[in-house]
Amino acid sequence: MAVVEAVFTPPAGRRAVLDRAHVGDVEGAFGTLSEAAVPPVRGTRARLAALAAVLGPGLVIMAADNDAAGLGLLARAGEEHGTRLLWLLVALAPVVFVTQELVLRLGAVTGAGHARLIIERFGRRWGMFALGDLLALNALTLVADFVAIAFALGYFGVSHLLAAPIGAVLLLGLMATGSFRGWERMMFVLLAATLAVVPLLLLVHAGGHHAGVAARAPASSTLVLVLALVGTTVAPWQLFVRQSNVVDKRITPRWLGYARVDTAIGTVAALLVAAGVLVACAWAFGATPDAFSDAGGIAPALRADLSPAAGAIFAVLLIDAALLGAAAVALSSSYSVGDALGFRHSLHRGPREARTFHAVYAGFVALGAAAVLVPHVPLGALVTGSQALAAILLPSATVLLLLLGNDAEILGPWVNPAWLNALGTVVVSAMLGLSTAVIAHAVVPDAEVSVGAVAFAALLVVGLAAVVAEHVRRPRAAMTRAERLTWTMPPLDRITPPRRSRARRLVLVGLRAQIVVAACALLARAAGVL
Amino acid sequence: MARQDDAPLPILPPPDVVESIADAMFALSSTSRVNILMLLRERPCTVGELTDATGMEQSAVSHQLRVLREHRIVSVERIGRRRRYALHDEDVAVLVDAALHHVSGGRAVRRADVG
Repeated sequence: MAVVEAVFTPPAGRRAVLDRAHVGDVEGAFGTLSEAAVPPVRGTRARLAALAAVLGPGLVIMAADNDAAGLGLLARAGEEHGTRLLWLLVALAPVVFVTQELVLRLGAVTGAGHARLIIERFGRRWGMFALGDLLALNALTLVADFVAIAFALGYFGVSHLLAAPIGAVLLLGLMATGSFRGWERMMFVLLAATLAVVPLLLLVHAGGHHAGVAARAPASSTLVLVLALVGTTVAPWQLFVRQSNVVDKRITPRWLGYARVDTAIGTVAALLVAAGVLVACAWAFGATPDAFSDAGGIAPALRADLSPAAGAIFAVLLIDAALLGAAAVALSSSYSVGDALGFRHSLHRGPREARTFHAVYAGFVALGAAAVLVPHVPLGALVTGSQALAAILLPSATVLLLLLGNDAEILGPWVNPAWLNALGTVVVSAMLGLSTAVIAHAVVPDAEVSVGAVAFAALLVVGLAAVVAEHVRRPRAAMTRAERLTWTMPPLDRITPPRRSRARRLVLVGLRAQIVVAACALLARAAGVL
Repeated sequence: MARQDDAPLPILPPPDVVESIADAMFALSSTSRVNILMLLRERPCTVGELTDATGMEQSAVSHQLRVLREHRIVSVERIGRRRRYALHDEDVAVLVDAALHHVSGGRAVRRADVG
């Protein structure tokens, strides 16, 4: 009997992952792709089937983007500014697509989560800072989502003592199947419920208000509102949860094309829902000078101004948004803890096989519910605090993301092309400029816009120069399409550490300085308020 | 292994057992974890000893030990303020020995030869 020795090309079956459950067949809500299947897929039907199987992380995570806080801000933008801020949503869509495509690529090519990549490439201090900040921000976001659930269920006469446990049970139920497919299917149900925005728009339109342009012009807070909208649109938890979810879904570079379509569909769908809510509130309240209170006040106001049906639909939308957001946020915590510390972290595993993963999720859900149940929790301050924390973290998160996107050790042939780096530099400079403007607002209240603009221009010039320098230096990779499609990152303990350069150190020191200055400015402002 | 060709095939173990076996093998699937196990095969070690012997960073050693503990490949005992790591049980020692034996082309490798 002759033994046939198999011959393997190096990447075959050697994908480095941090949890064994991250390799295998793609088990999506709408189909399965064999681990052994290789594109190109021939025929329209087969292509659609492949897309259906891949569909999920993009759509679901981006729908979660319009969480309770996001819905509240959109309602406020519509009420205070009419349809005038629609351009901002449209302008933010490419930003969302670019950042989400980048974390998608990082997940598919490296097989590692965002927290682990930051630890490996920027050191433990940055990694633990990013993780700690993420968890703090997630806790605050979950509280905000539970407050929204309590408000919205309160609209239907449910006591908040009952609403918090109901929300917690629903969120724990999403994870109960212990299967990736089960989780994704339930997230798609929540996603489908956001279609309720269509009847809401029809009702409001039929109601005959639709003035379109707000009567009031509260210009003083426009900058803060714009930054808050940017902040909820590109929140750190989205980067972490999306990247880990892509890894967990077992998307490899060979399915990147399909996953990019998923990202594009998700971007457009989330944009349409956001625009729908904004326009509905603009039409409903544009002509009436009600003072905006919060997301919880919208449903009763709709009932009073329009009809009980409109109020009920908004309340349902709010519950749905809060559940989607809370599920994604809690999941980003448990993915990142497992990813950073080395515990199993996969939706393919039930509570018994991945205790820490499920315990962290349940812990965050319990925290959110407890904040609603315990009396005298300063909820308003918590929500403001979460926005401030997000504004501090966002610039460093996006810069680290851009640096990871150019890291040839981990992305190989999948590093950012020049045009994407140029676009990314514009986006990051704009965000840093906005964030600078908000900090400047605390120090020099009159000159905040010009300070922000100067910061934007300076960063843009420096950033674009860095992009040009990077691409002049970069060697051209000679790789066939097939090689690209099978390239994955080598195991983390075998890749060479990042090249130490003065520019890199300068960027990292600059980011630390930005965080310290931003924190001090916001603390000074808080102290001034007190 | 040397059964007749027409012997009936066994019924597969339950899926959760298959999963657990694949998980245990996953724990052995990284060079830094294999290095740590090669040292623990000789005797129980502290993190400091493992760090010195492997040349890895201490945080990296701790990280890999956490992965190995979660898969019940190593166990830990506290001695005063220090933690000492050891192979979880004799089965793991056999598994590591067998892996070494397998890749060295069937030659018997005594522990003292490698340590």
